[in-house]
Amino acid sequence: MRTRGKIKRDYGRELAVVRTRTHWFILGVFLIFLGILPTILTATDNNSWLTWLNFTLITIIAVLGLNITTGMAGQVSLGHAAFIMVGGYTLGILTTKMDWPFWLALPAGGIITAAAGLVVGAPSVRLRGFYLAIATLAFLFVAQFIIKHLDITNGIHGLIGIPAPAIGGFKIDTDLKWYYLILLLAIGGVISSVNLTRSRLGRAFSAIRDNDITAPSMGINVYLTKVTAFFIGSLYAGIAGGLGASYLSVIRVDQFTVFDSIWYLGMVIIGGAGSTAGTVMGVLFLRLISQCLHIVSMGSWLPSLGAGFWTSINYAIYGATIITFVSFQPYGLIAIWRKWQAQYKRWPFG
Amino acid sequence: MTTLLQLTLSGILVGCVFGLIAMGFVITYRSAHVFNMAYGQFAMVGAYMAWTFLGSPDSPRFPLWLGIIMTVLFAIAFGLFVERAFFRRMIGRPLFVPFMLTLGLLAVINSIVLLVWGPAPLALAQTFPKGPVGVGEITLPQEYLWSFGVAMAALIAFVFFFRNTRLGLAIRAAYDNQVAARCLGVSARLNSQIAWVISSLLATIGGILIASVQGVSPLLGELAISVLAVTMLGGLDSLVGCIAGGLVLAIGGNLASYYLNTYIQGISEVFGVLLILLVLLIRPAGLFGSKSIDRV
Amino acid sequence: MTTAQTVKSATATSECDMRGKMGQFFEFTVSAGNHMTPGETGNKNGTIVAGRDLSLSFGGIKALSNVDFQVRRGEIVSIIGPNGAGKTCLVNCITGYYRPQKGTITYDGRDITGLPSYRIARLGISRTFQNPSLYPHMTAFDNLMLARYMHTRTTLLEAMLFFGRSRREEIEGRSFVESIISFARIPDLRNRTVATMSYGQRKLVEIARALAMEPRIIFLDEPMSGLDEVMKELVAELIISIRNQGITVVLVEHDMQVVMGLSNSVIVLDFGQKIAEGSPDDVCRNSQVTAAYIGGVVADRSC
Repeated sequence: MRTRGKIKRDYGRELAVVRTRTHWFILGVFLIFLGILPTILTATDNNSWLTWLNFTLITIIAVLGLNITTGMAGQVSLGHAAFIMVGGYTLGILTTKMDWPFWLALPAGGIITAAAGLVVGAPSVRLRGFYLAIATLAFLFVAQFIIKHLDITNGIHGLIGIPAPAIGGFKIDTDLKWYYLILLLAIGGVISSVNLTRSRLGRAFSAIRDNDITAPSMGINVYLTKVTAFFIGSLYAGIAGGLGASYLSVIRVDQFTVFDSIWYLGMVIIGGAGSTAGTVMGVLFLRLISQCLHIVSMGSWLPSLGAGFWTSINYAIYGATIITFVSFQPYGLIAIWRKWQAQYKRWPFG
Repeated sequence: MTTLLQLTLSGILVGCVFGLIAMGFVITYRSAHVFNMAYGQFAMVGAYMAWTFLGSPDSPRFPLWLGIIMTVLFAIAFGLFVERAFFRRMIGRPLFVPFMLTLGLLAVINSIVLLVWGPAPLALAQTFPKGPVGVGEITLPQEYLWSFGVAMAALIAFVFFFRNTRLGLAIRAAYDNQVAARCLGVSARLNSQIAWVISSLLATIGGILIASVQGVSPLLGELAISVLAVTMLGGLDSLVGCIAGGLVLAIGGNLASYYLNTYIQGISEVFGVLLILLVLLIRPAGLFGSKSIDRV
Repeated sequence: MTTAQTVKSATATSECDMRGKMGQFFEFTVSAGNHMTPGETGNKNGTIVAGRDLSLSFGGIKALSNVDFQVRRGEIVSIIGPNGAGKTCLVNCITGYYRPQKGTITYDGRDITGLPSYRIARLGISRTFQNPSLYPHMTAFDNLMLARYMHTRTTLLEAMLFFGRSRREEIEGRSFVESIISFARIPDLRNRTVATMSYGQRKLVEIARALAMEPRIIFLDEPMSGLDEVMKELVAELIISIRNQGITVVLVEHDMQVVMGLSNSVIVLDFGQKIAEGSPDDVCRNSQVTAAYIGGVVADRSC
């Protein structure tokens, strides 16, 4: 058994995420793997896994935002689907009705959604616990209602023909090209989320999540911090929404339901609330279930049962997964992972 | 003027039904400390089971009295099942945990209902005599009056149970202070079971009453929004508030729908939600709810 | 040795002890504008916190009635009184958790009545709570790092990028917290999760956290309650070391030995009113005070 762990000689080391040369090596290998992943996935001439991966990466960006609002800062938000919707529609309107280029519309969409997060957060964070959750849910319904009845959003028909991003002549029009763009943004999302966790703001979030009555005694402006949590969460959601809208090139209100909000919350909890790695795991876990079901449903040995049937099965399994984790492992996948890690380090004494 | 009266009267009738349904939600919140987001689904299941036993108007199954009894038995069994399978182990956990569980339960129940009965709306066999009833210039559908009657009967039955039976007294004690009640010999497990059974019963009654007017469909799940509006308005821990909240929601909804529909299309679907937001912004504790004091 | 005797001897030796361990902590007190060197525990020149005519009611209950008091810079002041006298209420008013209906509170001459508690914390007033309010799933070190919040300036954007100022402030904060940990003599608790600590250890860590905020005045709400004799001595020594750093200490306490042994000045409350204020000896001899305590603890050997 070799000695476990390196002794950290300065605070920089202690803080760092990538701590040893072994870690850097693993990271490098992982990045290379990510780079060649699409080639592996499309080996069978079937794009379904690559499309799935693109959507999963977009979902990761969105749910990282919810992890910040709910997982880190403890502000339960059932309205996250609404923010993604706002982000998508903003990009859609800016590109189709105002002819903005994608590269301008995406950040603009993110900022406008973050502003929406302020609008929702400012009155809501004065509420606590269930009341906050219900308020965010109410905002979701109101947002759905508004979008259904506005002309600029084409009402219930939604927007179509949202253009793909392009630089000069180079257009992002294949799943492969989309992959690299989305992957870049996803990596950016993960890095900024991890950085947030170990910064002063991240600490303030933990403080208000666990005990927001004594947090002010340390000079933390609880109200402002809670609103900031909504701001950041919606920013992520807005970017994800814009990406999704452009990727699909269409957007409709009924793509964003209360069930989606529930799944996003579920992904945060199943992965491990507050943890960036946990959130990624949670998203991957549920999305994999979905993809496996999709493959099974395509199997020619089953009678054709209709899309509605498979959606219901999907929802039922999602719900059952949430119930199982909440009942037996509320700290999520990341807790299981850390337990294994600790046992490995102590082996064979563990 | 008569329109106003008609809207108000019909609102009172419907509002009391909503109020009764909402009580099932409040009971699990106070007794079992669970914020049951799947409550709408409980009502849905109750209504679908009623349809299973009673059939539709063209192809009825069991006679009314038998079907109702079977549905009630199912509701009791369902409440016991839910308590044992999911919420027994939630006792003592932080409040967010069962909340998350009810969200998962919402999805599971909704999906199972869709898988078993399909998404198409079904008509429930006739439970009440149909046809309008006129009083002066006001006409109201008979079903409303019958529903109101059933709701009132159920309300009186439950009030009687709570006030005049030993079990009811024990529940009320636990309702106010669970730990003290346990010290006095009130079993926490029994208390939890009763709470869920009552909740399931009230949800089922509510589901059947609504379904007898609107038909049985997955949209019944949206009852949850009305229940939320009623409890936010009335106060999450007040049974009296449920009736008050129900009245405001129903009468207000009727009036808003009639007078404002020209300005805002489809106001009725979003009225409940707007009411929730209004209450939460102004007075989150609701009309009769207790505000919590944070002692440092 | 009784606590009182320990405390008296500690006063003599602690200054020399502490001087060696100061490091950054020593530097901070000079820069905080106190201009106090360790050891100078004598007469102070001014009032740091004062209350005038404070009244606080909850519905029909008068928690505080027309309370006047004064806390002088660099002293150890105790607030005593029977249970329910309003001691914690007074501290809550000063630190911004309750808003008095009447009266004013001044800090360094500046009116701070009614300011929200986070603002008051940022002015240099820190406090502990009757029930240790640490975050149970974090280590002592992380809990102390929380206290550095108001001394860092990193913005949101910098936080997400985490280099430059963000990283530097984190590292500085960590060094500072280390010095607090050695000052409070709790190095063995540094990496332990609070949930695994004993009650007494949590109290120590909570005091350390209040110190990590670099306060000029610290309010300790019943720091001795629930502790055994050994821990009480540790806490008493810590309180003296804190005072020797030039930080004013205000205690809410029940333990008379501690109060009489440590304090420069004592404020006595009963039923929300101030019934005495002065040096420990004066207060001891005050008949109203004795009456309030039914001649019990106060009349014993500590007076």
